[in-house]
Amino acid sequence: MTQSLKIKNNNFIMHPLGVLYWAEHDTLLISDVHLGKVSHFRKFGAAVPQKAISKNFELLTESVHFFSPKTICFMGDLFHSSLNKEWQLFEKWVKESTAKIILVSGNHDIISPLKYEALGIDVVAELAWHGFLLTHHPEERKGFFNFSGHVHPAVRLHGMGRQSLRLSCFFKSENQMILPAFGEFTGTHVMKPKKNDEVFAIADETVMKI
Amino acid sequence: MTRGQLHEIAENWFRAQNWKPFPFQKKTWRAFLQGKHGLLNAPTGSGKTYALWFPIILDYIKNNHDYKTKHNKGLKAIWITPLRALSQEIKQSAERVITDLELQMTVGIRSGDTSTKERAQQKKQMPDLLITTPESLQLLLATKGYANIFKDCSAIVVDEWHELLGTKRGVQMELGLSRLRTISKKMRIWGISATIGNLEQAREVLLGPSSRALENSTLIKANIKKKITVKSIIPKEMETFPWRGHLGLRLLEDVVPIINNSKTTLLFTNTRSQCEIWFQKILQKHPEYAGEIAMHHGSINKETRIWVEQAIRNESLRAVVCTSSLDLGVDFAPVETVVQIGGPKGVARFLQRAGRSGHRPGKESVIYFLPTHAIELIEASALQKAVKDNTVEDRIPYLNSYDVLLQYLTTLAISDGFYPNEIFKEVKQTFCYQTLSEDQWQWLLNFLVMGSQSLQSYDEYKKVEVEQDGRFKVNNRGVAMRHRFQIGTIVGDAILSVRYQKGGYIGSIEEYFISKLTRGDVFTFAGRNLEFIRIKGMQVHVKNSNKKTNKVPAWAGSRMTLSAQMSKLLREELYTANLEKNKQSKEIKSLAHIFKRQREESIVPNPDEFLIETFRTRDGYHHIFYPFEGRYVHEAMGSLLGYRISLLSPITFSLAFNDYGFEMLSDKEIDMQQVLDNNLFSTEYMLDDLQKSLNSTEMARRKFRDIAVISGMVFTGYPDKGVKMKHLQSSSQLLFDVFRDYEDDNLLFQQAFTETFEHQLEEGRLRMALERIATQKIVWKSCTEYTPFSFPLITDRMSRERLSSEKLADRIKRMTAILMKK
Repeated sequence: MTQSLKIKNNNFIMHPLGVLYWAEHDTLLISDVHLGKVSHFRKFGAAVPQKAISKNFELLTESVHFFSPKTICFMGDLFHSSLNKEWQLFEKWVKESTAKIILVSGNHDIISPLKYEALGIDVVAELAWHGFLLTHHPEERKGFFNFSGHVHPAVRLHGMGRQSLRLSCFFKSENQMILPAFGEFTGTHVMKPKKNDEVFAIADETVMKI
Repeated sequence: MTRGQLHEIAENWFRAQNWKPFPFQKKTWRAFLQGKHGLLNAPTGSGKTYALWFPIILDYIKNNHDYKTKHNKGLKAIWITPLRALSQEIKQSAERVITDLELQMTVGIRSGDTSTKERAQQKKQMPDLLITTPESLQLLLATKGYANIFKDCSAIVVDEWHELLGTKRGVQMELGLSRLRTISKKMRIWGISATIGNLEQAREVLLGPSSRALENSTLIKANIKKKITVKSIIPKEMETFPWRGHLGLRLLEDVVPIINNSKTTLLFTNTRSQCEIWFQKILQKHPEYAGEIAMHHGSINKETRIWVEQAIRNESLRAVVCTSSLDLGVDFAPVETVVQIGGPKGVARFLQRAGRSGHRPGKESVIYFLPTHAIELIEASALQKAVKDNTVEDRIPYLNSYDVLLQYLTTLAISDGFYPNEIFKEVKQTFCYQTLSEDQWQWLLNFLVMGSQSLQSYDEYKKVEVEQDGRFKVNNRGVAMRHRFQIGTIVGDAILSVRYQKGGYIGSIEEYFISKLTRGDVFTFAGRNLEFIRIKGMQVHVKNSNKKTNKVPAWAGSRMTLSAQMSKLLREELYTANLEKNKQSKEIKSLAHIFKRQREESIVPNPDEFLIETFRTRDGYHHIFYPFEGRYVHEAMGSLLGYRISLLSPITFSLAFNDYGFEMLSDKEIDMQQVLDNNLFSTEYMLDDLQKSLNSTEMARRKFRDIAVISGMVFTGYPDKGVKMKHLQSSSQLLFDVFRDYEDDNLLFQQAFTETFEHQLEEGRLRMALERIATQKIVWKSCTEYTPFSFPLITDRMSRERLSSEKLADRIKRMTAILMKK
């Protein structure tokens, strides 16, 4: 179950896979996929199950199929580390995709932009579109609403009977929204919402406003 | 030389010291010289070192008649000790004999404290006797050409074997021995163990259940009887004595006369933080002790520890506050009295500690029990009985620890490499892996080489390679280096060293504690107040501070459980609360007002009754069950019952456990009548239900964390470059989820569950407990408020387990509703 949202008269849809669809631009925003992390571990002798690799790609395909966007924008940390063989799987995935792909590069993106450009992917430091600013690190800039990633936001809920839950979330403040990490094999960082913040938590198959 | 002449040498030496060898010592000499293997059951301070060191020397003399003039170099014997702290003591004893007999043999120590220079020297020329730890022995097996080092070794002695048995270090030892049996043909294997319930099994584990060594072995018992007196410290103002707590500081003043009346007193605490706090508080309240009391625990630097140990021997200390770090070895003659602060949780441990006092033969041991809260006095009373009846526990050895085996195989692969057929035969002879199948073995080999069971394209897994002749070998230097660092980390948590900014090592601390500090925070450590500056690499930089603080590092692994034997004694003691006064111990009598208060709302159960209490507080609905079976069994029973209740209707619990019972806390009320009507305490489908309940709790995750580290899936970091690899550390949690979702048939993942069943939940005990409950009448008391029995449980905010059968979305809705109300 998705959740819709209006920001500055633009329409957005949050999907429980952790992606954000921007209707006006027919663009899908995906952050912190951390491809290659599993392979990186394996290369150093830590036998993380290989099936986790293909799962990442399956989920990417699933979210793209759901919206069939004209453009896909990765919001940084697409690849976790230096080049490994997971790149070849990514190449294959890109070739099967019909959408235009843009990468707003993040701190983990150390693979040469030339490699991306060879696949027809634009690599940029940031994107400023009609009052919206897309970056990897959260940023406040006058006149812009900022979309970002990097933080891997999560929220902790408390209930009666000493219950508590930790959930990955979309974290929105007045001029900013931080996207959850898409990757299967990534951790999260708990954030405490302030008064005017809005939190949309991912609970199994739904996105719920807290 | 004949055996008689050899014995004569030893007996002459004893005579020269004005001693007389004990029968068990002579028996051990004889057995060793006959070429036998064995297990020696002897307590600390009984002369066990000489029981085995002498025949090693005599054997050398027998083979080297010109021993006074010539030195036949090379390793003759290995002495394994579980604690590095003990090596000095052993070295001194060994050297004393060497000097007196004018031998030219040498003694060396090799452990984590040994300098690189010394290690290199040893590699060139091994001492005749090498004193080392199980980890350092593994590291020797990781050396190229290791077989040469051991080829003439005539003996290996595993000291304090009972401490290793029932741990993964014990398994490491079993594997090491399986290799040594092949490469040093002349080696006799001997263990030394304190009294435990399963001594025969201890011998079997040491030597291998189907080995020829076991056939040609013997079990020698020292049979030294020691009189032990247990005295409980009963609070003078029982009415105001707390219902919960674990520090026991309330009774600090009662300890003062004990310290004053004895030459040296050891105060045993259960955790290092408790140790720190007691030390500080004694000095605060009694500054006159300054310089006369000291502290000793495993995280304090080696120099300080050695200084303290030496000071005890010199009689220059009145009292030492310590932890299990002083449980073993080291002979402290001047210790006259021992104080145990808080429940020791096991009879064997309590006896061991009591034995630290009155060390001289014929002297009685005196131990005081200081309760930290009221109910613990029942434990005190039970301990008295245990000591009287000489009850001791078993140590349960591990079975099929795949993680340790993978670590061991990698170790062999980085030194000379190994051929699977040869090693499989050796491994099969150990106790731990006696049931290991060919399929499982193949699975492990695949895992080492491919990181999975089949070769995949795009995979870059790198660890062990198979060479053309079938030899398994690590050729990558990075892999080898990382593995060497990993060998010592059989015990899980990341450890950082604490240093002054200007240099000077203070001790080591768990990362978990440090991660909660920010710059400028002051904490108590090693008896001083330190200000946290920063973490650099794997080091914590600090400076001295005058600020007061209540932050004391907590060390994990401090959660212990009552043994089966202790639990039974405890229940029996508790039941006496309902008897006439003259049938009660003085501890039970002193609790009269607590029992009275308990009876106002509830009951003190009789042997044929099983008590359940329910009540409501601001926190929610409390449901408390009292099996009195020890913490671990309660963890199992709580999860099992919680799971079964959650099947009746969607519900979410938070569970708390202690040695007396467990609590289920929920935001909804459990229909207790339904629980009783449905017979939810049944042993039917117990294992199946338990397995399902574990999927949703933290227990298996915790076990998996250690398994991931030991098997080399999570790297804990280079000593100096910890931070760089830090992201690997936090990943054992993620790893668990990934395995659950994609590879739940992985042997290591399954091991986490098996271990939880066998070592954590003690499945066998759970079944017996449930069977016992089935014969009891269930008494359900609906109370208006908490009772003395329930109070420690409901106030436990730490270490809770969670279990839920509700939809995530439903839980969130309710939690959100609460948020809105605020």
